[in-house]
Order: sequence, then C-alpha cells, then structure tokens
Amino acid sequence: MAHFFYLFHRNNHSFHKVLKNYEVLEHTADIRLKIKALTLKGLFKQACLAITGVSAEKEKLLYPEKHKIVVTQKADNLEELFVNWVNELLSLSSAEGLIFEDVKIIRVNEKFIDALALGRDARNYKVNVEIKAATYHELKVGKTGLFWQAEVILDV
Amino acid sequence: MSDLALEKIDDYRWRIPKSYKPGMRVPGIIYASEKLLKSIYQDKALEQVANVAFLPGILKASLAMPDVHWGFGFPIGGVAATDIEEGGVISPGGVGYDINCGVRLLKTNLQYDDIKDRLEKLTYRLFSDVPAGVGSEGNIKVGIKEEKEILLKGARWAVEKGFGTEEDLECTEENGQIPGADPSAVSERAFQRGRAQSGTLGSGNHFLEVQVIDQLYDREACDTLGLDLGQVMVMIHTGSRGFGYQICEDYSRKMIQALAKYKINLPDRQLACAPVTSDEAKAYLGAMRCAANYAWANRQCLMHLARQAFEREFASSWQKLGMFLIYDVAHNIAKIERHKIDGKEKMLCVHRKGATRAFGPGHPDIPQRYKKIGQPVIIPGDMGRNSYLLVGTEQAMEETFGSTCHGAGRLQSRTAASRSINSDMLLKELASKGIIVKASGRNTLAEEAPAAYKNVNDVVDVVHNAGIGKRVCRMRPLGVIKG
Repeated sequence: MAHFFYLFHRNNHSFHKVLKNYEVLEHTADIRLKIKALTLKGLFKQACLAITGVSAEKEKLLYPEKHKIVVTQKADNLEELFVNWVNELLSLSSAEGLIFEDVKIIRVNEKFIDALALGRDARNYKVNVEIKAATYHELKVGKTGLFWQAEVILDV
Repeated sequence: MSDLALEKIDDYRWRIPKSYKPGMRVPGIIYASEKLLKSIYQDKALEQVANVAFLPGILKASLAMPDVHWGFGFPIGGVAATDIEEGGVISPGGVGYDINCGVRLLKTNLQYDDIKDRLEKLTYRLFSDVPAGVGSEGNIKVGIKEEKEILLKGARWAVEKGFGTEEDLECTEENGQIPGADPSAVSERAFQRGRAQSGTLGSGNHFLEVQVIDQLYDREACDTLGLDLGQVMVMIHTGSRGFGYQICEDYSRKMIQALAKYKINLPDRQLACAPVTSDEAKAYLGAMRCAANYAWANRQCLMHLARQAFEREFASSWQKLGMFLIYDVAHNIAKIERHKIDGKEKMLCVHRKGATRAFGPGHPDIPQRYKKIGQPVIIPGDMGRNSYLLVGTEQAMEETFGSTCHGAGRLQSRTAASRSINSDMLLKELASKGIIVKASGRNTLAEEAPAAYKNVNDVVDVVHNAGIGKRVCRMRPLGVIKG
C-alpha cells in the first residue's frame, strides 16, 4: 500500500492546484520515493520538495534569511543526473545547514541541470529523518504517457 | 516475494546455485534457519545475494548472514571477498554510506541493584550529555588543523586529547586507527559535512544503551572478560555520519564512470566497483579508511562522554566504576586481509556490509588478552529485546572469511512501522518491561520498535549453531538513548 503525501504550494501569488506529486513506497530498510510531474523541470523540482517533505517539518521561523545556492550537475544519462541532483541537494543541505524550500530550474536536459536552490536555516525545522543518500538500486527515471516519473530508493 | 528456490545444505546453510543467473561467478550461501528464511524471502535480499556473485574476483561464495535484508546493491548482512591478484574488485556499495558504522561495548562494576532506582535519572543525564539526533553538533570541537589528524589517527587522536586510554585502543578493531588513510583523496564537501559532527551519535538506528547481563553461555570466556550475571554494561552504536556518506557518494559516482574502462558488467549500478589495484580503488581505499578512522574517533569520543555522565551520576571516577572497553567492531567496512584459501595464503579484499569481523582464537590481529577466547563480537538487538556478546571462531575463518552477523536485521519498512506502531503505547510497553527510552527524532521510536526487527535471539542461534560465532553472554536493555 502506498502512503500518500500531499503538498500545497504557491506560485506567482495565486493558489496553485493541489499536487499529489510524490508517494512513499515500501522498502525494508529505506525509503522508496515515486515522483511525478508534467515536465522534466517539474520532476527535478518535485524531487527537491519531496526530500524536504520526507525529512523535515517546519517549526518556528527563527532564522528567516533566505539562502540561494547555484546547483549545477551533469551526467551520462538522465537516471544518473537525477541521482546526482538529489545527492547534491542532500549534501549541500547537510554541509550548509540548510533546508531547501524551493528550487528554480534554469535549464535541464537529460545530461545537464542548472538550478537555483532556495533554502533556509535548518534550525527553523524539526528534522525527523536523516537521508544519507539517493541510491542507484532499482532507479527508474523516464516519461510514461503524459508524465515524467522517477522512482528512487533513499538510504536513511 | 522472491520465487528463488534455495538448495538446503543443512539446517543453517542454504545455497543459491551459480546457475540461478548467468553471470554469477560463485554461488550464494545464506546462513539461516527455516524460520528466518521465511522473512528473508519477503523482500529482495536473496536477489541481491545473487547479484553480488557477479563481482570480478569474488571467491568461494556471496555470503549472507541470518540478519540479511534488502539493501541497495549489496544486501545488508552480506559478506564478499575478492582475490586481489586475480583482478578482484572493491565496491563502495559493498561498504555502504555509513562507513565503519559499528558498535562498542563497555563494562562497569555496577550491578543492576546499584542503578535500578536511578535509572531514569541516568538515562536523562546520558541523553543530555551525549549529542544525538539528525545533524546534531558535538560538544567536542575540532580545529581545522586537527581534521586531518583525526582521519589519520582515528581513536588515537581522541586518546591523545585525553578522551580515553591506550587500553581502549588495544580493545578496538584495528586499534581504532586503520593504516593507509589518505586525506588527499577526500573531497572538500566531505570535510564540510563531517566538520560539525565529531562526537555525535546521529539518528535512526544509532543508539547508546545501558544494559544488564541476563544470561551467561560461556563461563570461561566471561571470566576472561570479567563479566557476570547482573552486571551493568554500556553499548554505543554509531558511524562516520555525513563524512562517510559523502565519501561513498563521491566514489560510487567515480566507479560507475569506471565500469566501462574495466569492462565490468553488473546487474545493479549500486554494485559499481573497480579492481583493487586500480587508481580509482586506491583513492577510494584511502578515503574510506579516513572515514573508518573518523568513526572510531567518534565512538571513542562518545564513550568518553558516557563515562563522564556516569562519573557525575555516581560521583566517582570511571576507573573506579570499572568502565573498561570490552571491544569495538566495525560492521560496514572493506578490509585487505590475509586468508587461507584451499591451503594457500592469499590477500583478499573482504567487504562486510552489515556483517562483523569474527576472527577466531589465536589470530594475530586480535589483542593478546583475547587470543585464547577469540575476538569479541558485539551484536546489538532492538530496544525491547536483547543484545549479545559473542566471540569469533576458527570455523568462521574457514567458511566466512572470519565474519558473522551484525544485529537483528530489519523486518518491517520504516513506513510500515510508523503506520502500525503507536509511539506512546510503545513507550508504555517498554516501561512495563523496565526499559526507559529517550529519543530525539519524532519518528525514531516507531521506526525502531522491536516489531520492526527480527528477533535477535533467532539470528544469534543460527550463527552459534552454524559455528561462525560463539555465544558468550546476553544483555537486556535498561536505558535507551536514540538519535
């Protein structure tokens, strides 16, 4: 049985539609995420929101300053690009002590991504799960019908 | 559920034949009872045991311990040794992200009666004095210049700072300082991630426990170790934290890129590897050993903080409280070791991914004081049942490259455990058994509930009866600090 999370997000000051953009599936030791979006840009953005959603809960806004970090990744194929992207976000989040609340994807194709990650101090959050990394095991990223989809196992 | 048909060797050994998948170089051998096998069949661990058998240079068999469960690439609870001279490989996935995740066990001269009335206070004191939780920052601050020293010296760095004694080092695998660490092979990002986390426990299944010995199995070994019924013990379980995660990630990426160069075909990219003699492997080994030393320094620091907490609680020195280290073992590591294969000595790269070194009596790499009984092996269970102290055996040397199990092994996913277990009810249930738990993470309790794990007693029965580990004594938890 899949366990669904729902994320609400605002876009251009208008209330955007409710997106069922990721689900957490079973894996004995770890977390398996399934992410869905209409565009490749959307898929990479939702991956960022999903790892934040799975690991952290917002508490009081004690440190309101927003931090912008340029994230550029390349790989030989889309699947590896996706894992590299998630791992770079996890790694930056841990090294800089930030939680990424949003991301602006400037350019993405199957081998390259250039984006601006927007984060706030992790002390504004209660971090419940430490995600060590995204793994390549049973990794699936591609387009199915109308949607771009990714399935990835996170080591927690 | 796996539909793989296993061949029964005996009551505790099962084989995945080499013919199961084209590309397997050796068979898979699973150490399990029929009871444990039922749970092992429920996920994809067996498929992963078969996949590990694809590794170039793998010798004898891809091994699975009775606590085996589905990991990523390698199963958790897997052992694989490769022959370095025959193009044998090393795989960062065969070590895992939490490099040198491991356990240490220290004894006290306190009896259960000495602490039963102050257990709650002691547990709270440990919880406040030992930094735990996701991304927790340590009280032990490390200067920039000292970072590289930790990576080279491991637990010795901590001892030189006054956080322990020479005897602690003697009672640590590799003396807490594995040679061959190369800080120049470590990325700046790994340094950044490790910087704040020295002397911290971490989250998830990592813990510090106050335990009491409730069963003795081997009187001679207990006498050698100075252990008896009712004695209070302390167990610490943690690893290299963000520092190790980054090294695994950096080198998994590099090894994936190198697969074509070395013409290695694998069924799973997470098994990515390179010949031990290659530049990629040498760099990984140098970096992995840095993380291993970081983890040993970490456990040494945490033990120091635990000793201090006891000193404050009992207004006595840790020496007077008899808080001496029994042993410290790594359970996520790759080691270059000499083993006898078909009567001939060979240098092997032994991956232990959720498995513990279990060298038998007389082995040159174990401390003089344990030469007669074999290397102590520490098996943590879940927070509601038991943990064990075993010793290594000659049979483990012959069959499993001197390796045995590492814990209870997960049974239920974190998601399933969180969904089905109520944390408040669980706390009450544990309290009714006399167990006090303090946890940092809101989800940790349910995810780490006893029901989420196999029964460690069943796991240890298998390794004992199969002869790849020998029971010495059993502990039960009293006070539990979870990250």
